[in-house]
Amino acid sequence: MAGLANVFGYGAMTNHQNDIRNSRSIMIIGMNPAENHPISMQHILTAKEVNRAVVISVDPRFTKTSAFANKYVRIRSGTDVPFIYGLIHIILANGWEDKKIIQERTFGFEEFKAEIAKYDPATVADITGCSQADLQWVARALAENRPGTVIWAMGGTQHNHGTALVRTYCHLQLVLGNMGVPGGGTDVFRGHDSIQGVTDIGGGPETLPGYYGIGETAWKHWAKVWDVPYEWLVSRFKNKQMMEKPGFTVARWYEGVLLDSKELGQDVNLKAAFFWGHSTNSMQQMDRVKRALEKLELIVDVDPFVTNTAVLPDRSDGVYLLPAATNYEQWGSSVNTNRDNQYRQRVVEPVWEARTDLAIMVDLAERLGFRKQFTHNMKGGLRGIPADVKTAKSFSEQTMNDVLREINTGALSIGYVGHTPERLKRQQEWAHVFDIRTKKAEGGPVHGESWGLPWPCWTDTHPGTPILYRNDIPAAEGGCGFRAVWGPKAPDGRTMLAADGSAPPGGPNAGYPAQKDYATDLTLGAIKEALAEGRSPYGNGRARFNSWNIPDPVPVHREPIHSPRPDLIVKWPTYDDVKELYRVPTPFKSMQKPEWVKQYPIILTTGRVVELEGGSAQERNSLWLVELNPEMYVEMHPKLVHDHGLRHGDWVWIETPEDMDGKPSRIKVKVKMTKRVGPDTVFLPFHWGGVFEGKSLAHKFPEGNVPYTIGESANTVTTYGYDRVTQMQETKTTLCRIKKA
Amino acid sequence: MADATVSIPFRQAAGPEMKYAPSRLKFYIDVKRCIECGGCEVACKNENNVPAGIARIRVVTINEGEPGETNVAVPCMHCSKAPCVAVCPVDALFHRPDGIVALNKETCIGCGYCLYACPFGAPQFPKGAPFGARGVMDKCTYCAGGPEVPFSERERRMYGANRIAEGKLPMCASVCATKALVAGDAEEVANVVRMRVATRGAGGGAWGWDAAYGKGY
Repeated sequence: MAGLANVFGYGAMTNHQNDIRNSRSIMIIGMNPAENHPISMQHILTAKEVNRAVVISVDPRFTKTSAFANKYVRIRSGTDVPFIYGLIHIILANGWEDKKIIQERTFGFEEFKAEIAKYDPATVADITGCSQADLQWVARALAENRPGTVIWAMGGTQHNHGTALVRTYCHLQLVLGNMGVPGGGTDVFRGHDSIQGVTDIGGGPETLPGYYGIGETAWKHWAKVWDVPYEWLVSRFKNKQMMEKPGFTVARWYEGVLLDSKELGQDVNLKAAFFWGHSTNSMQQMDRVKRALEKLELIVDVDPFVTNTAVLPDRSDGVYLLPAATNYEQWGSSVNTNRDNQYRQRVVEPVWEARTDLAIMVDLAERLGFRKQFTHNMKGGLRGIPADVKTAKSFSEQTMNDVLREINTGALSIGYVGHTPERLKRQQEWAHVFDIRTKKAEGGPVHGESWGLPWPCWTDTHPGTPILYRNDIPAAEGGCGFRAVWGPKAPDGRTMLAADGSAPPGGPNAGYPAQKDYATDLTLGAIKEALAEGRSPYGNGRARFNSWNIPDPVPVHREPIHSPRPDLIVKWPTYDDVKELYRVPTPFKSMQKPEWVKQYPIILTTGRVVELEGGSAQERNSLWLVELNPEMYVEMHPKLVHDHGLRHGDWVWIETPEDMDGKPSRIKVKVKMTKRVGPDTVFLPFHWGGVFEGKSLAHKFPEGNVPYTIGESANTVTTYGYDRVTQMQETKTTLCRIKKA
Repeated sequence: MADATVSIPFRQAAGPEMKYAPSRLKFYIDVKRCIECGGCEVACKNENNVPAGIARIRVVTINEGEPGETNVAVPCMHCSKAPCVAVCPVDALFHRPDGIVALNKETCIGCGYCLYACPFGAPQFPKGAPFGARGVMDKCTYCAGGPEVPFSERERRMYGANRIAEGKLPMCASVCATKALVAGDAEEVANVVRMRVATRGAGGGAWGWDAAYGKGY
């Protein structure tokens, strides 16, 4: 998300899944939609059948998606930057680039071009392992079949330079002129239910809802929305400085428990952790997670099922399980990967002891003494909220809608404004009038609206913006330029406003800065003024090839921390160590050791399977799903299997280098012999839990709660390595060795 | 913008006044579309409460992990000239008027002839009994229950859901993510096949069609 935001202005998928039906080429890289986003495959396959779209799958693993591709290219894990740069190198050499969009709507192309020159096809073939012929084939296919989309997911982000890598995908699309057009775009598929929504309402450690950041202006804006005094908010923190300091990330919170407090970006160690619908087995370095869980004073796990968190630590008290209601047991709305906001009806009351998330939150606020402020915007004297919030299992639909209205009031920066509960419910009733290809409604009371009112949806009459950065339709109908979020001029004085002739029609046909106060004027006056004049409220700026405010302004290749190529570590090393990133020291170079490959010669990558999801506490409790995928395994190429003297179905130990602990990690799993992976790589699905380094944890589950399948977690053996900007874990590339168990 | 869609004139299977062709229910399994997500298998089990070890529909993958990898969802195809019906010594298997091959579990003696006759491996037998005893056969009902009072507890327990009597399609086809598994009346299913052949230029990917329904049926 940080990658997209630093190029275009918004950290979200630019087009939508249905729009893939308009594509003429589809490059799927670091992503396996056939398993992870099965529904999206109907759009991809339709484009392939109807448009004769060229489907290209680039991955270290021949996935179920690759089976449907016209072209499969195998690259070494973590070498996407050279691969993409190799494509751009060929595109520029042949003059296939879109000169108009580069000249009118982008910034920093000269610096970018200088960097690209280093990645000639021979160099790229050496780094990535793909052939020069394949590279040429893909570049030509993308150039000859426009518009085309590039789709990625965690395979693109879970690297030490993941943010830079994502930016190169964006750059490829800019060079091809595939931005702001139906069938084009940078389509990152988000993984979970409402994960885009979670990002939008400030799930990250460095921002309040709506990507306002956590500076004083941001806090003051939200204090106004929440209608609480700013000083009261300050008083809840140790001091103003800590209030404005990014917190720990989900990837490395445990270092806040384990490290000496002197090394941390705060005075004290973490003492308590709340896990809300999150599983610890999707977190890297699980041996350290385990130790942190043992050291914490309090662990609370809010989930419909007993997760890995509850059984992983060796401790007998201080773990509290709060049964949460599922999505079928509560009203609400969710934002999917398309930025679509969809209304959700309650099917049944929360069963047994389950309580809705909001009921748990309000109860918590009550017990911590700020229920009045927390529920302030649930209007009408807590309408619908029972007097005794300590026993309430759920609140009324009206109360849930008030929560959405609060977001509508405040999240102006991303235009999360027009999604009133009434409009969402009306769309739900009229779902049948929306076109499958454009998502636009034909007729009925929702005429002209886009399904889900994808943000920015500036007012309660705006139709939503299904395709971002589209400058061929007026702003009031969902047109917009690139976001002018970095001011009118770059630090070196060059303009950041788009050239004349590139603005959405109906307004001034030039670049223009953002409307003053559009993100903070709660009356919507600023937004409405801009729209009335035919301007996009956030301005009409330039997309950046050069993101000067983050490391590697122009992305460069960085070898994985655990790289199998010592010679390339010298030439393309990772970043310098960082003393403090999200409150923890984050070494890079000092952890990248060229000699590791001698002891650990095999590349290890991880991923998902279709039957299970995330930490899979829910799916491993479903007999039908477990029957289809009953036990944990490692995918190995036949050559690797036979070279190790193994057979399909044998037990093996997978061992990975010591990380910060100074102690190697290992897991015991079964061999699955398959040609999905090459002979240099093995693959682990990461959904299992309940076994740790060969020992079963089944006895630790509450009685009757052991899932149908337990197994080793892949993340017990994933090693140190984090993204330089977001601290996303580098789980997609590490090194391992294999021994017969 | 490539915006080509192919329209096939919609023909009512039963003719203008519903007096010609009786309905005939079929499956279309499009191997160019099936991604082996397993949605059909899980939905079937959940809808019909099928025990573990029995698969009324199973997705089979050919050449897994290699170029040419192909997935085939295999339910009972409810064949026109069903070999299982032909070999059943006690007439426990029979054709309903709508073409569904139905099973009477009270008549079935578990001889297993149908298992050898079926080209699709559809008949399922409970496993684990000593001396090779098979127990009563179980198979895909096209979500049409069985020869019992519709919606009765007894029907639900012995055969599973009766979605056909509710006017709904089989659960597996209803949940298919990529519309690889299509169920419905023969004429409408044929329209879908024809449309896909026309769009692709060749190859409807209709696996098992000839074996189940005969050429040109």
